[in-house]
Amino acid sequence: MKKRFGLYFMLVLMLLISAACSSDTNANSGSDSKDDVLKVWSFTDELKEPIKTFEERNGVKVELTIVPIADYPTKLKPVLESGVGAPDVFTGEIAFLKQWTDRNYWENLSEEPYNADQLSDDYVDYVFDLGKDSEGNVKALSWQTTPGGIFYRRSIANEVLGTDDPNEVGEMMSSWDGVFEVGEKMKEKGYSLFPDEGAIRWFSKGEDPQPWVNENDELIMTDAKLNYFDHAKKLRDKEYTAFAPEWSPSWIESMNGPIGIDKDGEEGEQEATGETEVFSYALPTWGLHSVLKINAEDTAGDWGVTNGPSPYFWGGTWLGIYSGSKNKDLAWDFVKMMTHEEEFLTDWAKETGDVLSYLPVTEKIKDDFSEPFLDGQNNYTFFLEQAQKIESGIVTKYDQQIDTLLGAQVLEYVDGKKTKEEAVNEFYKQVKNAYPELKMPQ
Amino acid sequence: MTRKQYIKLIVYVFLALLAVISALPFYMMIVNATRDTKEILSGFSFIPGSSLVENYETMMDYVNIWLGFKNSLIVSVSVTVLSGYFSALTAFGFAVYNFKGKNPLFIFMLLMMMVPGQLGLIGFYELNKFIGTLDTFIPLIVPAIASPFVVFFLRQYLATTLHPTLLEAARMDGASELKIFHTIALPIMMPAVATMSIFTFIGSWNNYIVPLVVLFSPEKFTLPVLMGFLKGSQVAQNLGSMYIGIAISVVPIMVAFLFFSKYIISSISAGSVKE
Amino acid sequence: MKKLDYKGYFFIAPFFAIFLVFNIYPVLLTFYYTFTSYEGYGTPEFIGLTNYIRIFSDTYFYEAFFNTWKIWGLNFALQLGIALLLAALFSDLRFKIKGLGFFRAIFYLPNLITISSVAILFSIMLDWRHGSVNMFLQQIGIISEPINWLNQPVTAQVSVALILTWMWFGYTFIVLMAGVSGIPGELYEAALIDGANRWQTFVHITLPLLKPIMLYVMITSLIGGLQLFDLPMLITDGLGAPEGSLNTMVLYLYNQAFRYNNYGYAATIAYALFLITVIFSAITFKSMYRKSVKE
Repeated sequence: MKKRFGLYFMLVLMLLISAACSSDTNANSGSDSKDDVLKVWSFTDELKEPIKTFEERNGVKVELTIVPIADYPTKLKPVLESGVGAPDVFTGEIAFLKQWTDRNYWENLSEEPYNADQLSDDYVDYVFDLGKDSEGNVKALSWQTTPGGIFYRRSIANEVLGTDDPNEVGEMMSSWDGVFEVGEKMKEKGYSLFPDEGAIRWFSKGEDPQPWVNENDELIMTDAKLNYFDHAKKLRDKEYTAFAPEWSPSWIESMNGPIGIDKDGEEGEQEATGETEVFSYALPTWGLHSVLKINAEDTAGDWGVTNGPSPYFWGGTWLGIYSGSKNKDLAWDFVKMMTHEEEFLTDWAKETGDVLSYLPVTEKIKDDFSEPFLDGQNNYTFFLEQAQKIESGIVTKYDQQIDTLLGAQVLEYVDGKKTKEEAVNEFYKQVKNAYPELKMPQ
Repeated sequence: MTRKQYIKLIVYVFLALLAVISALPFYMMIVNATRDTKEILSGFSFIPGSSLVENYETMMDYVNIWLGFKNSLIVSVSVTVLSGYFSALTAFGFAVYNFKGKNPLFIFMLLMMMVPGQLGLIGFYELNKFIGTLDTFIPLIVPAIASPFVVFFLRQYLATTLHPTLLEAARMDGASELKIFHTIALPIMMPAVATMSIFTFIGSWNNYIVPLVVLFSPEKFTLPVLMGFLKGSQVAQNLGSMYIGIAISVVPIMVAFLFFSKYIISSISAGSVKE
Repeated sequence: MKKLDYKGYFFIAPFFAIFLVFNIYPVLLTFYYTFTSYEGYGTPEFIGLTNYIRIFSDTYFYEAFFNTWKIWGLNFALQLGIALLLAALFSDLRFKIKGLGFFRAIFYLPNLITISSVAILFSIMLDWRHGSVNMFLQQIGIISEPINWLNQPVTAQVSVALILTWMWFGYTFIVLMAGVSGIPGELYEAALIDGANRWQTFVHITLPLLKPIMLYVMITSLIGGLQLFDLPMLITDGLGAPEGSLNTMVLYLYNQAFRYNNYGYAATIAYALFLITVIFSAITFKSMYRKSVKE
């Protein structure tokens, strides 16, 4: 009996040891053989084509790993913290960019041999600035700029406003009063100005551009942001919107034509059941290619793009070299190609319509664009002009979350679930709860 | 007699209704795998579309789903076998023997079940880095040896089914303890082990966050990680392809489930045949 | 059974060996974090009991606590009710319901699909304008206007509870049937011969003998239920809207850890949740055992 026990324990032990050993050898052989492979991690497949080009040119192998954006920080954090299994190049989205630039995840590109500071004049200011850490070192670069505008339906503009010219429509929409005036005209003809109230958040953010948090860790609440509550409420109360929140099925449907509407009266108001058609959407550069063109097939060619009350940007992808990479030369070659190589970027922009932040290229190509989806309008020059107007240096690592919290409270106020004061106070309370280190106004 | 049949009819209608509610989304998913994006957006339909092949090809352009399938199969089968065998062993130890610290150990195990897992991830990663098991299947497979939920279930099951007299009889015949476990206890536990194996298998098959974090090499990715890969690519715009990916990952567990299903519980209705 | 028998150690050894290696370390590390201010990177800063003091006055945590109970309670009552009813039907010798294997497989289907697919599915079905739920209810005339299910606190909580019931009743049913199969068939035959009616058979034979399995179902469902997280996260904006009604304890923990990078505080929430789970599990154990003493 005893002997059997001994044997058994040996078995258990061996199992454990063999498990540990086999993994050891695996891990070693894995990392050794992969030195000639450039590993790139991102959250979209945008880089797939550039990588092919890069592989062909340099005769190297690039391994692209895509992790969906919701899981991207979860996947990257342990890897970047511990340095095991890390990629050579990885991208960052605006949502976590500012959290990462201040860590030592990305190589400092301001130093030799990169000297990225020399490039500063070649880029759209705010884009270049966002890639810097708090001491001004460049950590990541971006090839694109993602300013926003208002995409609107030309046929509706013609019918209601008497013109579909982007400049004239933009003139009308350049102030809040103008926006509401257009809203009223739209309503009279049975159209909705915006899909929902959330559409105006960007203009509120861009109106009086100040960082959410200053250097003393104080939350800065501007009048423009407080007015966001009122503007949103006004849109709802005056019935200028179509109850189609961003990314909902209704939102997508509304781009193709009329949608059913059942404006549920808040305080015993009369119910109006029927249909409405949405006039305009606040979307950035990528909204054209990855939202409108894909979803608005039936209305293609009936669109134009113009400005709203203030300039803004939405999203964007930056990329940099992992500080612990053993393949930094190759990694830098890739970053260089992606962000400041004229030949490649020219092809890229012409092929994808992506609005670049690298001015030497955009200056050359911007005048040649004519977008059939926008009835031949040159959206490229429009967006480049918008990009130049964007204030740099105001994005903090808190922005993404604080904006989300603000949006949620604005919605509660708009829905009539809270008064403005309650909603604002709840907002402060939630920000304080999320970031106890911050000081609230008053 | 007629009243009895009437009641029986109501029972069957109730069961059928529940069955429809349970199966409907599943059916929708398979139907959607055969439709193109526009059709899917325009609403539900019970009639399959004609885009099955295109959807499949679009998906295969991006990921080799069958490779992920193989990886998932290796991991899930290993997990199921290890978890089933070792949990039975542990449950037997707890149910049959009386040893010092038995209850504290059991309670300790139960307590550890109650720790929310979300925060352990970084510690788990650090641990695997330390013992050098990152980018292998080991952190996905070996921890299955310790499955508290399964042990708990099997011990509860043994409490109703295993009679000490059976063990005594075997001991009289001079069988070793391990042999008793293999020849008497394990067969008794088999229905319960099979039942738990289904849940273990499915849990492992659908496990997303651990493989996502510990695996780096694309050729080792499991199905859910590959599906995540799809979600981040342009395929995500092609809903039909997404559905076919989901369908490919669900149908096999369906089959596995039906296969195991035979081994669960020769239930009371079988017993009544003996009447 | 009476005298001590150390052979038991040998059977439980592999379990605890692996358990110690893979589970204890992360858990202890988490415990250490509860005394720190830690962003999830860099070095944790020791701050003593600050996190513990904070959690006692944290109204969001209390809110999350009650939300979790409301959602889990409704879901568990429904889920157990349906599963027990099914178990009673299938164990009834007089009905001789056929197709147990078939129904068992079908009822379990909802549990096969990953939670993210379930969330996508129901977000579409519950959409107020296009959702099939509203369309169906309007067609049969139960409601006259579409209901925005996920926009009102009560309907949102009920919706989540119902989705959970849908996902889990099949599982509970299978587990209960596994317990029923352990009950010797002779007992039912004897009851039949004694002329016991359905209700009597169920109450006096099935229920008492199912007790160990019921305990298992209750404890595991409690543990799982208190850790409710993915569904509320995926079905809302991730913050537990509307009005925080879907903000569950683990969702709150998750947001503190991964959204706001308050790792130390999140660890404290984890331990508070742990304590709550232990207390309620102990109560469940106690009440189950007391009942069995009475009988």
